Amino acid sequence: MNAVSSMVHLDRGGRPGTNEGAPARISVRNLDFYYGDFHSLKNITIDFKDRHVTALIGPSGCGKSTLLRCFNRIYSLYPDQRATGEILLDGRNILAPNVDVNELRSRVGMVFQKPTPFPMSIYDNVAFGVRLYEKLPKAEVDARVESALRRAALWDEVKDKLRQPGLGLSGGQQQRLCIARTVAQGPEVILFDEPTSALDPISTGKIEELIEHLRTEFTIVIVTHNMQQAARISQYTGFMYLGELVEFGATNNLFMNPVKKQTHDYVTGRFG
Amino acid sequence: MSEHIVSSFDAELEGLRSSIAEMGGIAEKQLADAVTALVRRDTSLAQAVIAMDQRLDALQRDVEERAVLTIARRQPLAIDLREVIAAIRISGDLERVGDMSKNCAKRVLAIADGFQAQKIVTGVQNIADLVMEQLKDVLDAYAQHDLARALDVWQRDGQIDALYTSLFRELLTYMMEDPRNISFCAHLLFVAKNVERIGDHATNIAETINYLVTGQNLTAERPKNDRTTAPVDVAAE
Repeated sequence: MNAVSSMVHLDRGGRPGTNEGAPARISVRNLDFYYGDFHSLKNITIDFKDRHVTALIGPSGCGKSTLLRCFNRIYSLYPDQRATGEILLDGRNILAPNVDVNELRSRVGMVFQKPTPFPMSIYDNVAFGVRLYEKLPKAEVDARVESALRRAALWDEVKDKLRQPGLGLSGGQQQRLCIARTVAQGPEVILFDEPTSALDPISTGKIEELIEHLRTEFTIVIVTHNMQQAARISQYTGFMYLGELVEFGATNNLFMNPVKKQTHDYVTGRFG
Repeated sequence: MSEHIVSSFDAELEGLRSSIAEMGGIAEKQLADAVTALVRRDTSLAQAVIAMDQRLDALQRDVEERAVLTIARRQPLAIDLREVIAAIRISGDLERVGDMSKNCAKRVLAIADGFQAQKIVTGVQNIADLVMEQLKDVLDAYAQHDLARALDVWQRDGQIDALYTSLFRELLTYMMEDPRNISFCAHLLFVAKNVERIGDHATNIAETINYLVTGQNLTAERPKNDRTTAPVDVAAE
């Protein structure tokens, strides 16, 4: 089906104050993606609004993580993977060859399914990104680290052990440490790829709470297999299947009254 | 509708639907029996109607409990969530229908020994016939997810209101004619009002079916012909 036609449902009956009005931070236009010969994303067109959480759902292999990986061009680390079309970040096509990928990745942070702290202290984990892009006096780095840890809701738990290794933290704390590391670089967009699938319900709740706070500052895109999670924390949801964007719209509509049969079957657990 | 990957989920939803069907059957019988008891002055049938209400109350509690459990266990979305919400709402409506039929039956006992004007009783019976048809249609519409039929019920409630208004006026004239009629007529007025309100519950159920099928709430004003609360209208008699 044509991905453009599903855009029609974008503003269908959304809650006032959450949907209309906000500008698109990321605009994807006719994006195709290939793993070698395999055509993984097919003509995707979608907007991600500033300071909103947009969730991408769909069965395994539908292309939702692939789409996420396009936004910071992490795929270009691998040969044979290529994207065509346009992804506009603040109006600039990030797929263009002259884009500084390192700068892009400081603007578009990513948090993965498994927590990936570096084998260094809690402090150094957060300071790492800051030092990579900027030369700052120690006092300022300290302030950045503290601010990032506070915004990642981790400060109170680690403030007395900043020199201890990041890997010594619990899984949920490690994930929040990774979020702090991302936040410290001052990105505009944060991508979450299944950020809670390896965490227990309490840690999951903390991350969800955190994402709700983060959305006041950042544009957030989250890939999740947990539909209730998407329904809880996102304002927009896209349903993907076999590399296509089947339906995209306000989260409330997509989960309560989906337009497309495939979406309906997926969200109600009838997919087979 | 294709089936869920988890088949016990299908069984839970089916269980809710069949409990609603059972409740509907009891509510229909209660109303029909209450009216028959009135027409025939049959106090033992009226007693049976009163006793039947327990079963309806128990079923309603059971539907509510199972619906809550289904929400907790399955976190249903889209049509599934609406199906569960509809079951809760409709079971509430049917439970109230039962209460009103029971109230009618109690009034049959209260007026059993006194004066009865068969003509007015027939008037109540006419309203009840219409209401029973509404109830039957709306329950069928629920069982088949038949939106058109539900909306038809929703539209038709105006006829019941109009009948009720004319019966109300008739009862007033009886009461004015002879004060000894007042007790009987007052009871009958309440019976008619109960029956009329059962019709309102049928339209509530129709609205729920609309929500169940379309995911939207009916926002339009329902056609109303109940003029008994318009003071000028009655005073003009």
